[in-house]
Amino acid sequence: MRYPTLPTMLRLAASVLALAGIVASGVARADNEYKGYTLRVKLIGGVQYEALYTRIPLWEQQTGAKVEIISRKSHFELDRELKQDIASGHIDYCVSSNHTNFSAQYPIFRDLKGLFPASYLAAFSPSLMKASEINGHLVQIPRSVDIEALYYDKTAYEDPANQAAYSKQFGETLAPPKNYTEFTQQAKFFTKAPNFYGTQFPGKDEAITGTFYSLLIANGGQLLDAKNRPAFNSPIGVKTLNWFVDLYRAGAVPKGVPSYVWDDLGNNFAAGKVALDLDWPGFASFYNEPKTSKLAGNVGVVPAPLGAGNKRPGWSGSHSFSITKTCDRPEVAASFIEFLTSRDSQMVEARLGTIPSRTDAQQAVVKEFQDKHDVFMANAINVFSTAARQDAFTPPRIQQWDEISNALWPELQKALIGDKSSQQALDDAAKKVSDIMQDASD
Amino acid sequence: MRSNLRDSSAVPALVPVSHESVALPFKLLLPAFFSVAIVVVLPLLFSLYTSFTSYRLIEPETIWHFIGLRNYLRAFANEDFWAAFGRTVLFLTIALNLELVLGLGIALLLNEVTKGQRILRTIMMFPMMFSPVLVGFQFKFMLNDSTGVINHLLQTLFGLQSTIPFLVNANSALASLIAAEVWNSTPVFAVILLAGLMALPKDPIEASKVDGCTPLQTFRYVTLPYLMPFIYIAMTIRSLDVGRAYDIVRIMTNGGPGGRTELLWTMVGRIAYDDSHMGYANAIGYVSVLVSVLFTLYFFRKLNAARKHMGPA
Repeated sequence: MRYPTLPTMLRLAASVLALAGIVASGVARADNEYKGYTLRVKLIGGVQYEALYTRIPLWEQQTGAKVEIISRKSHFELDRELKQDIASGHIDYCVSSNHTNFSAQYPIFRDLKGLFPASYLAAFSPSLMKASEINGHLVQIPRSVDIEALYYDKTAYEDPANQAAYSKQFGETLAPPKNYTEFTQQAKFFTKAPNFYGTQFPGKDEAITGTFYSLLIANGGQLLDAKNRPAFNSPIGVKTLNWFVDLYRAGAVPKGVPSYVWDDLGNNFAAGKVALDLDWPGFASFYNEPKTSKLAGNVGVVPAPLGAGNKRPGWSGSHSFSITKTCDRPEVAASFIEFLTSRDSQMVEARLGTIPSRTDAQQAVVKEFQDKHDVFMANAINVFSTAARQDAFTPPRIQQWDEISNALWPELQKALIGDKSSQQALDDAAKKVSDIMQDASD
Repeated sequence: MRSNLRDSSAVPALVPVSHESVALPFKLLLPAFFSVAIVVVLPLLFSLYTSFTSYRLIEPETIWHFIGLRNYLRAFANEDFWAAFGRTVLFLTIALNLELVLGLGIALLLNEVTKGQRILRTIMMFPMMFSPVLVGFQFKFMLNDSTGVINHLLQTLFGLQSTIPFLVNANSALASLIAAEVWNSTPVFAVILLAGLMALPKDPIEASKVDGCTPLQTFRYVTLPYLMPFIYIAMTIRSLDVGRAYDIVRIMTNGGPGGRTELLWTMVGRIAYDDSHMGYANAIGYVSVLVSVLFTLYFFRKLNAARKHMGPA
């Protein structure tokens, strides 16, 4: 029997390590490993998502597989399409875009545990991976992360007249708010309606449900109890809703707030009409771009203020990728997802202001912006990434989330516009949510 | 047989039709019947059936869970449903009448134009070329209280010191949706009525002028009666079509705030897809179909009456 020589052993070890590296990275697969296979995928569409898809030909080149994008729609259209697929039982694709906050509705996706190397999964923040599970099953790999932070208009804060007036009125230095008492105080202080408002918030659809939910948790409240019964009509819930109602009635937010969703908030802040804007990372580059924003160069980003429960409003969610249970080549699908969520791929989106779900990409993009002396983006990405790691929580990841949200937001609006008291609105919503959960358990 | 043929040439209506001659047209029409059955009848029957089940899109097996009239009873016991029902009828009534008045006005003006009518006709049709989704976004941005052009104009031109939240106030919210719908769809009325005006016989109009009728009298007693069938056809088409307003409402207010602009279509869309309760949504859908059918029957009765009034001409 011949024993291998040292050089042979070294070469062998190097080959094994290289192979392990290939398997572990999942990105640099062996050339043409999947030649002849066509991977059918449904991807979320929209301007902010398209840059990533320009990398797909590279994966095709590496693996020899072809990608057929059979659907490329907005989140809401994709949601409908997935539900129709489930209803018809016609699942003829392997990969689909998904979202952590809505994924409980789609029973068509498989558990991904065991499909991906541990080293790859370890690159994501643990809280994010936990949020990607439904009933203990890892049903998605997060593509990015969304969480709110506080944008503020530096011109309003750095104005000597404002500083003097604020100091005189409250005996404090004017600085971005650290808690909701300061937030409310400053929102009212800055308001000079109809030309300038202290703050704003979304007032319809899931946007107001989520914003209410986020502050409810920050204030130490609960949406549902351990048995999934409504718990939001508690005194903390009423106090939370009163915060929105108080700002609306005081005129510290625009009158049109009950009809606002994110694009309205974005346009208002970019138009220089609002001092404080609790908003998503996707707006960072929009707000600081001279072509789209009057505030370019004068935007600050700080962590969201602390609620009464000493928590930050960390309502969060991640766009993600899932693999269907009917997929005939899950390993190919896994390779595709690994590629789209690799560090290099995430950097493509991160450079545009998206917060990567991988911690290594989060750090790398901050460094890249620092190297380019883009202080604003480096700080923004850092603030949002830190919030994603420390403060993030999703809505209850249950099938009924959409339905609960649809029961809640019209009642929250009724309190805002004065049709009901906060307590009445929350009690009525709680009754509807109880019925929903009762129906679900029947 | 020979005598039959001879008789038939004299009185065609009494021809005893042979089995073969019936079969041929029937066979020729069969593909059409089949297509209609597949495209229209089957989905209708399917949705009617599901309205008696607890069918949820994300739980396909629930399609077999028959619950009788429970969805309908649930809808009828739901105050929000009745509010949306009433609002939908109001929306339809106001939108259709406004579209009629504006469409008729545009058609009458265009009919008087002798030069460049084609270009004007094309320009007039621009709004209906926009998708309702786009129209919804346009109006939403224009009516925005903070950055919208309407409030800006009111402030700069008329010195308004505050802003008007058009999409929030109790009356202006629904009015804003109607405005968007009317803007989008008035050209449909205008086109149909312009076609009616162009097809109008000239003799009665000239005769009325000779008889000394004023332009208003000519319009009231000659032009309008001739136009009535066209008006009812347009009304029928639009009453069925106005469900397109779903997109506009979805984008501009999504039924809010606090249900102030909720229509049956937005309610159905939300229950069917967001909440996945397709069975319940179909039950509400069938009630809204009933509204459309009633409107259609009404307009068809009016159409027949107008045609009778006009006589064989």
